[in-house]
Amino acid sequence: MERDALYWRVILLAAPIAVFTALVIWPLLSSFYYSFTNWNGFNPEYDFVGLDNFAKIGTDRLFASAIINTAIWMVAAIFLPTLLGLALALLLDSKVPGGTIFKTLFYLPICLSAVVVGQIWIWIYQGDWGLLNTVLRAVTGSDFSYAWLARPNTALGSVIVAWSWQQTGLSMVIFLAGLTSIPDELLEVCDIEGATAWQRIRIVVIPLLTPATVVVVALSVINSLKGFDILYIMTGGGPFHSSDTLAMHMYNESFKKYLMGYGSAISVVLFLIALTIIRIYFRNLRKVDEIYG
Amino acid sequence: MRFTVFKRAATASVGLLASLFMAMGVAKASDVTISHYFSGPFMSVMGDVFDDFNAATGFTMKDSPVGHEDFKTDILVRGASDSLPDVFSYWAGARVQFVVDSGDLSPIDDMWNRDGLDNVVAKAIADSATLYNGQRYLVPMQFHYAGMFYNKKVMSDAGISEMPSDWEGFLALCETLKGQGITPIALGSMNRWPAQFWFDYLILNTAGPEVRAGLMDGSVGYDAPEIAAAMSIWKDLVDAGYFVENANAQTWTDASDKVAQGEAAMTLMGTWITGYWNDLDMEADVDYDFFPFPTINADAPVSVVGPIDGLVVSANVQNKEGAEAFLSFFVSDLETQVAWTKAVGAVSANVNVDPSVYNALINRVIDTVGAADNFAFNYDLATPPPVAEVGLSMFQEFMENPADYEGILARAQESAAAAF
Repeated sequence: MERDALYWRVILLAAPIAVFTALVIWPLLSSFYYSFTNWNGFNPEYDFVGLDNFAKIGTDRLFASAIINTAIWMVAAIFLPTLLGLALALLLDSKVPGGTIFKTLFYLPICLSAVVVGQIWIWIYQGDWGLLNTVLRAVTGSDFSYAWLARPNTALGSVIVAWSWQQTGLSMVIFLAGLTSIPDELLEVCDIEGATAWQRIRIVVIPLLTPATVVVVALSVINSLKGFDILYIMTGGGPFHSSDTLAMHMYNESFKKYLMGYGSAISVVLFLIALTIIRIYFRNLRKVDEIYG
Repeated sequence: MRFTVFKRAATASVGLLASLFMAMGVAKASDVTISHYFSGPFMSVMGDVFDDFNAATGFTMKDSPVGHEDFKTDILVRGASDSLPDVFSYWAGARVQFVVDSGDLSPIDDMWNRDGLDNVVAKAIADSATLYNGQRYLVPMQFHYAGMFYNKKVMSDAGISEMPSDWEGFLALCETLKGQGITPIALGSMNRWPAQFWFDYLILNTAGPEVRAGLMDGSVGYDAPEIAAAMSIWKDLVDAGYFVENANAQTWTDASDKVAQGEAAMTLMGTWITGYWNDLDMEADVDYDFFPFPTINADAPVSVVGPIDGLVVSANVQNKEGAEAFLSFFVSDLETQVAWTKAVGAVSANVNVDPSVYNALINRVIDTVGAADNFAFNYDLATPPPVAEVGLSMFQEFMENPADYEGILARAQESAAAAF
């Protein structure tokens, strides 16, 4: 029986490992391999070009702007949903009337796919008849027709707002769960000691929410790293690359310019950045674990 | 006990998967696989073509259509994994050249000669669209032409009865329309490519086809004075307020809708706009018409611009006989050519198609193309794909900031030089 169990464990584990190897490890190693070539994606023949693709990264104007956009994207995509989620959770935890309905409403967007969210926000931002401009026109009485997604100054920011709108609900629910685990006695002590609402949040609630914050930030980091779909739907990196992130730039170079070798080099850089962020994150996670057990 | 259940489940799953793969893998010898980018209303016409072909030849077309924009990536991925369909649709010009140079297509010279396609395909198109590195690789499905399509009622309401043939007349037309509060030109450059026709015609009509060909093959730079001169004409039009606001926020159908609804007067677009407008219950020569891009330099040869969609046979073709039979059938069968070209709002490249099957407007397109000295593929089909990406983004940046056109051209040259 024992041997049989072990046998089946190996067999059943082999399947996911095989899938993981075929779909993650193998493509990853392939990217490293192709990053040293000038493969165009079609032609079976290609040459090894050494570090040329990586050298090209240094002079690529679009890569430089993509890296800045990626930094903006990651910082905003981590902070905005976290802060907004925390604010909403604190608000809803204070027993506002209709709290359950609001909880459901705020959580709903996370149930939608990024494609649906992207399309909804494309309509909101539409210059002529979009909701945002319609409201602005009604409020200001002007004939405001700014094309939010088509202008280089606002394209990335507009996508970040849409992204935050979707992700905030998830952060909110995790913070709400965290809030229920704070002992009532501590909050009563605050009342007895005459702490202000702000002192109560700053000194008691936020420190005790650390485990929930760790989870929220972890999910935000992971989600922002893989946040390609909503940007692809909403701007495709446009107009003229002004909202390109590294993932979008890599996609354009590989699949639109057919520079698969160079695209692979960008993906290697992206991989190393992701690896660094994840390492920093896990190192700090361990510290949090040590403090809070 | 638990593991017995596991065993059964696992065995059943393996069996199921195996039968699924077998079902997927088994293709009949008569099957011809095809992938194309004609979706929506064109699907049913394509379905009819397959039915006719199957009935006439005994082969069976196995279709896997892909959306127009997704197709560009999809075919690349399939090419990389040597799993291209037997036949696929592709854009004649630099894009087919790119796939030919990658060794992913089969030449079709034997079929071309055997089936006498020299007597079927118009010579100008056969020469420009089907030959790559001295061999035949493509049969044209149809050709399109880009012209200035306009709303007849808007023009007549503005008191304009005659369309301009030269640049002064065109500027006067724009000024008249603008004076009456009508935006003269609609453009939807959100997906970038609709702006290319302006670039194409302005260069061809000022610098001429040779300079343009040089730009397309890299021997002329984007920072050449001829290119800057053409862009400055375009800039003057934008500065004068002749283009719609927020062109980069609109698609080509948004721009077509603006003209259809009378919010703008005209749009420089391919003949596929006729199919789109007909679906909106507009009628050629009643609700809309076109005029050729006005002459700027009378000494430059008359050029027309447009894309040619074609069918090609992949190098890893499983059913070569069937694939070639389909290509030959598609371009030679008159019923197919008429049904197909009418559905997509295009013109047949088959010389045996009687022009009287088309309406008067398409006949004027045929005359315009026939009278031209030069048929040029539009920009993104005329220059290699890596360079085309640079230019397409350049057009969008130009529409955002036309005053910086010289800086934009200098940056485009830098990127294009790296891409060539």
